[in-house]
Amino acid sequence: MKKVMVGNHAVSWGVKLARAEVIAAYPITPQTQIVEELAEMTADGRLAARFIKVESEHSAMAACIGAAATGVRAFTATSSQGLLLMHELLHWAGLGRLPIVMADINRAVAPGWSIWTDQNDTLAQRDTGWVQLYCETNQEVLDTTVQGFKLAETVDLPVMIVLDAFFLSHTSEPVDVPDQAEVDAFLPRREARLKLDVHDPHAFGALTTPAVYMELRLRQQEAFDRAREAFAAVDREWAERFGRGYGALESYRTEDAEIVLVTSGTITSTTRHVVNERRARGERIGLVKVKMFRPFPTGPLRDALSHVPAVAVLDRNISPGHGGIFAEEIRAALYDLPPGRRPRIDGYVVGLGGRDVTPAVIEDCLERTRRSQAEAAAAAANGGAEREIAREDIWVGVKP
Amino acid sequence: MPDDRGSPDLAHGVPPVAVSSTSTRVNLTGSWKYIRPVYQDKVAPCNQGCPVGIDIEGYMNLLREDRIEDAIGLLLRENALPAVTGRVCYHPCENACNRAWLDDAVSIHGVERMLGDLAIEQRILPEPETPRPETVGIVGSGPAGLSCAYHLARLGYTVTVYEAEAEPGGILRYGIPEYRLPKDVLAHEVNRIRALGVDFRCGVQVGRDLPLNVLESHDAVFVATGARRGRALGIEGEDLPGVRAGLDFLREVNRGGRPALGHRVVVVGGGNTAMDCARTALRLGAEVLVLYRRGREGMPAHDEEVEDALREGVRFEFLAAPVRVESTERVPDREPLEAIEATFDRFEGEPPAPHVAGLTCTRMRLEEPDRSGRPRPVPVEGSEFFVAADLVLTALGEDPDFDFLPEDVERASGVVRVNALNATGHGALFAGGDITDEPHTVAFALGSGKRAAVGIDRYLRFRAGEIGDGADLSELRQGPKGNISVTRWVGGDPVRRTDPVNRVVTFQETNPAHFAPVARAADRHLPPGERRLGFREANLGLEREQALAEARRCFNCGVCNECELCLVFCPDLAISRSAGGGYEIAYEYCKGCGVCATECPRGAITMTREGL
Repeated sequence: MKKVMVGNHAVSWGVKLARAEVIAAYPITPQTQIVEELAEMTADGRLAARFIKVESEHSAMAACIGAAATGVRAFTATSSQGLLLMHELLHWAGLGRLPIVMADINRAVAPGWSIWTDQNDTLAQRDTGWVQLYCETNQEVLDTTVQGFKLAETVDLPVMIVLDAFFLSHTSEPVDVPDQAEVDAFLPRREARLKLDVHDPHAFGALTTPAVYMELRLRQQEAFDRAREAFAAVDREWAERFGRGYGALESYRTEDAEIVLVTSGTITSTTRHVVNERRARGERIGLVKVKMFRPFPTGPLRDALSHVPAVAVLDRNISPGHGGIFAEEIRAALYDLPPGRRPRIDGYVVGLGGRDVTPAVIEDCLERTRRSQAEAAAAAANGGAEREIAREDIWVGVKP
Repeated sequence: MPDDRGSPDLAHGVPPVAVSSTSTRVNLTGSWKYIRPVYQDKVAPCNQGCPVGIDIEGYMNLLREDRIEDAIGLLLRENALPAVTGRVCYHPCENACNRAWLDDAVSIHGVERMLGDLAIEQRILPEPETPRPETVGIVGSGPAGLSCAYHLARLGYTVTVYEAEAEPGGILRYGIPEYRLPKDVLAHEVNRIRALGVDFRCGVQVGRDLPLNVLESHDAVFVATGARRGRALGIEGEDLPGVRAGLDFLREVNRGGRPALGHRVVVVGGGNTAMDCARTALRLGAEVLVLYRRGREGMPAHDEEVEDALREGVRFEFLAAPVRVESTERVPDREPLEAIEATFDRFEGEPPAPHVAGLTCTRMRLEEPDRSGRPRPVPVEGSEFFVAADLVLTALGEDPDFDFLPEDVERASGVVRVNALNATGHGALFAGGDITDEPHTVAFALGSGKRAAVGIDRYLRFRAGEIGDGADLSELRQGPKGNISVTRWVGGDPVRRTDPVNRVVTFQETNPAHFAPVARAADRHLPPGERRLGFREANLGLEREQALAEARRCFNCGVCNECELCLVFCPDLAISRSAGGGYEIAYEYCKGCGVCATECPRGAITMTREGL
């Protein structure tokens, strides 16, 4: 069944199809529609869940943690400041290995107060032990939400579904809503391996000595390692059942590409348009979309980008004092490739605080990389040394 | 806590999450606490604020449960005249109401009036206790005497009331005007007391018609003859026939008289009696001016009385005091004040021949506060002016009259000295109401009569060797400063109390977050224009549904009404419903977090220290 819906409601429908049992949330723009819709679904009986109103995002996550610890399927949604307020509890969910699914609408962080999109809120939670999956379309949002529960429960890790404020959250697109029965077959009721049991009480998360803490971290790390393959399996099964798959990474027209643009979120769609135009003019331009940020898809990235001469990473985020976060991580992931297979990587910081990333902005990034690549090639041809990599990311589309 | 000491799990490595390897059943959450919640009912501030000592919170609680008859029963345990006090009491209970900090005080008087009227309508008669052999004589049938008679009759005594006037009621019958307290309402409440077996002997004044020693035939005597002596103006001309004591005037009207007033009536004074005089004169067709020596804010009259007088058309001249009553034979040559003259412009028709022409007055100004804490009015020199009047009513306060009492009854500052249960110390003689040191209001009089009834009961039981003298009075009070509760004296409270403590709950101890603001129901009133046409009751009170809604606004301060919030909020699920009503706490799981006590909307849970 196809329905026209905004990205927020695509999340709600995904949660409904996944039959979440506990939803605890605190409203925040631009997320609120997600839980409003879920509250209505819960109230009118379409979704058999307990909806818990709380006084803060901190409490919302705490309620989800409590619920998930008892073995039920728990969901929340938030954005920006709300996500930041949750920070402490994100660790509790992460190291507690609780398969909570949360949607975060990427919204810039204050001050200045902003409701528009960028990725600094979610990327600030990089090390909290959550899987992070970034979405490009409303269809992908719905699909990833359902997939997220399966992935979470497979590897006992919490999963964050990430989508851009307004560009997805409040933009309507046609979305195919799968049949409930088929989703039920894909995602059966949760079977918790370890849970709170009043008949056999144990303490969870209590004092943990140096003798064992590190092993807990290792278990977590192993789970993240498994999550790469687990996601691939979940995505594969989804594609078999519903005809749509996304992959941790998507390579788009990268065959024989001289320059590959790397994007995440809705910038990807605009970049596809630019790539198509350039390809039509015979230019060898490609695109790699990063969907999974944690665990970081190191292997697929190395496969996708080795042999590419130049890579331009577009970051809708900034790590102050360093640069774009995707660019940093991709450089690190590719650093130990042999010199002949290691691309040059230019980083571009774009679209912060919801500023439009238009085709012109993307082309600007592309032309800059093309020029720097030509300079490097010329230098190499003249027998010059390989260019120094340590250069700063460039801010594009910004007033000086 | 995961550790590496002998856990079988750890033989194969560490579990995926930090989970204890052994059961935590040995370390129940209850062992963490150092303070514990206990259910401990307390006293609502209204109960303490009520001079009668009514369990207001208790009947509000019963009404919330739709137990209207039980609510009436509880009210009648403490208050002999609820339909009267629902109308004429100035409800200090409402001034104490914690709800006022959220929106507005509960309309307690409105609820009481509804219950009082319902008690009359349904002819509800409280059951007396086992009859006792002793008899009690009561002198005076005002609110103090009626209250004492009622409670003593309920306690099983044979009671005789001696009343100088033709009908019982005292100030209720002969002082308070019909439009504030309809005579039939009073008659119904007096009849309830009669139905308990109280013998009223009216038209006999002890010390005049009946020798004082008639009282010696009783085992105990309660004297409450009230304050009937109006204070004099103390100015030239006050003996002229056109000058009357306000209480006298009210008594005549309340007897059914309709005295000719002339057209211009000036009332001197700013208390409730002055307002009664002014509004009564207005209803008899006069134009009325009130002269008061202080300002509006200095008036001792209750606000509602002043507002009603203003609405009905009574005029006020503040900061003005009479210096001389001018007879018709000696009209002063001074020019009358224009503003004052304008007051009477609208008069048309022929006045009866007046004895006075008016009052020469002086302007007053306010100086440093006197001992009463109110600004002291002093005359402004050379500010004299004339106010025309056909009749002058004085309402400057009343003094008690108890000359007939034996001389060795102890007196102090013009009143009879009594102890905490109104015994004079002179044998079995008790006293109450306005002849003792009480504010001159109906509620305080009722409260003193009730206190005396308990005092007499205790005295007679002690004399009969039934009880010792060790009863702790403080435990009988509605809160540390409240009046005596008959229910506490007799026992058998119809409201379940858990571990009650005699402490008043403050607003800070309630949790107003659990109460949505709801507007207070306003009394219905006759339109002011209609009120002037006669003596129909001016304040029509609340509809029954309005009154019941008011009862639902009550916080039930300090008393568990089983609202369930403690049970809902307890994070350890340690609270459960108790078979006998109320709740119990599983202390082996309660970790002493205090959430229940914080969430309790009414402060009925107390956190106490764990025994060390």
